[in-house]
Amino acid sequence: MLLRNSIATLALATALLAGAGARADDAAKYPNWKGQWVGVGAAADAAWDPGKPAGAGQQAPLTPEYQGIYQAIQAKHASGVKDPTTCLPPGMPRTMVMYEPMEIIVMPDTTYMMITHMSEFRRIFTDGRKWPQDIEPSYAGYSIGHWVDENKDGRYNVLEVETRAMKGPRTFDASGLPLHQDNETVVKERIYLDKNDLNLLHDEVTTIDHALTHPWSVIRSYYREPNPVWNEFVCSEDNHQVLLGKENYLISDQGYLSPTRPGQPAPDLKYFNQKK
Amino acid sequence: MRDRCLLAAIVLAALTAAATGAPAAEDEHDAKFPDIGGTWVRPGAAQWDPTKPAGLRQQAPLTAQYQAIFEANLATTAAGGQEYNPQVNCLPAGMPRVMIAYDPLEFIVTPDVTYIRSDHLAQFRRIYTDGRPWPDEITPSFVGYSIGQWVEPDADGRYGALEVETRSLKGPRALDASGLPLHADNQTIVKERIFLDQANRNLLHDQVTTIDHAYTRPWTVTRSYNRDPDPVWVENNCGADNHYVSLGKETYFISADGYLMPTKKNQPLPVLKDFEQSPK
Repeated sequence: MLLRNSIATLALATALLAGAGARADDAAKYPNWKGQWVGVGAAADAAWDPGKPAGAGQQAPLTPEYQGIYQAIQAKHASGVKDPTTCLPPGMPRTMVMYEPMEIIVMPDTTYMMITHMSEFRRIFTDGRKWPQDIEPSYAGYSIGHWVDENKDGRYNVLEVETRAMKGPRTFDASGLPLHQDNETVVKERIYLDKNDLNLLHDEVTTIDHALTHPWSVIRSYYREPNPVWNEFVCSEDNHQVLLGKENYLISDQGYLSPTRPGQPAPDLKYFNQKK
Repeated sequence: MRDRCLLAAIVLAALTAAATGAPAAEDEHDAKFPDIGGTWVRPGAAQWDPTKPAGLRQQAPLTAQYQAIFEANLATTAAGGQEYNPQVNCLPAGMPRVMIAYDPLEFIVTPDVTYIRSDHLAQFRRIYTDGRPWPDEITPSFVGYSIGQWVEPDADGRYGALEVETRSLKGPRALDASGLPLHADNQTIVKERIFLDQANRNLLHDQVTTIDHAYTRPWTVTRSYNRDPDPVWVENNCGADNHYVSLGKETYFISADGYLMPTKKNQPLPVLKDFEQSPK
């Protein structure tokens, strides 16, 4: 009887151990992407492909039509005309330039990317869902991912992601490198830690877009900040520009509407009762 | 007797191994949290205290000075203005107003941090539960800096509530769209107790106590949220859709055809003294 009880107890303990082991396996499946990730080569004027010079040096595989559009944008910038500053988020794939740091939260069903710049927020669903029939377009798009264990060691090391259903306007970078106006961009990513430096994260980003003659792949990288301080990014707080129709105006420190170029006409106040 | 000792030793060793393995311990820790992860939707009213009508009937314990400010804000509302409302200029609601949940809230619970994301004006709260002390210096922000602790474990060791304190807020902020004010000194402290309803595990409560110099005493309200098991997320880009513009102390509307419009009767014209040319 005593032996039977002991055997039963042993069986229970073994079962407990097996259960704990299974949970341990689950917990250890995912790579450690905790912390704050800072973009490498992510200045405000950073080019989309960090491996090549900005502008024409990017050698972007643009269609002739979009090459013309890009050249017109560059000519405008060269003449000193600046694009209005807006609080629109960069959207995909440009958000992965990472102008401000990012936090990645890996959960079993979703990997979240909280991107400080413009407070962009990506949800990458890894729960095995299919593409929904209707997706409301957004700048960040709708992302489905799956984890890959390339080394067959029981631990995932790569997150493969596909993002669809973007809306515009979007560009690749601050130079105005264009994406097609049809907004049918599809972005594929492979995200993984550097094999030699686990504090360096890489994102192989392939953009498929009708402005391009073929899919365009670049690698963006991020380093882990060991002592992160998170700052709030509130674009509206510092944006002093206002768009009225097609004219862009500035709000002065005194709170007056001001021109953004010499000779700019004052806005039409036709909706005001101007009788004195 | 010897067999019994041997078996006991094996059992003890097995249980010890199960209890001390680091990942298992982490998983055990995970099992301690209440099931508050996911999407939560405001069921109804958007005034700060949802149990009372908006405006003066909130019976907010304001100081005399801030009661006067509130009444002035209500008068502005009645005239069609919203100058007191920072959200008109796409500024985030901040704490504690973000917990009104104009758009759904998503809770992400991890051992060290509980995150609350509000798509409304893209706000993101980090509630640190890793036992850290208050930093010596904190850059003020609209959502503030939050430290929490899990409390009230049940017989199974599962926590019953998350208690949070939030400091280092910046302004301008208001408690709700009626213009219930917070003090301009931005020394607000917010204490929260977040917990699932005992009878309905798909109902989440947040008891929010606001301590602020605009109020004569701490003001506690309870906001609640229904779980949305099948959320559809819609991106909220205030900057893309905002039709309000503030010039000095006046807020104007931008019409669909791109012209400035008044927001209230007899509103002064915008000052255009910086322009050399009259409208084209």
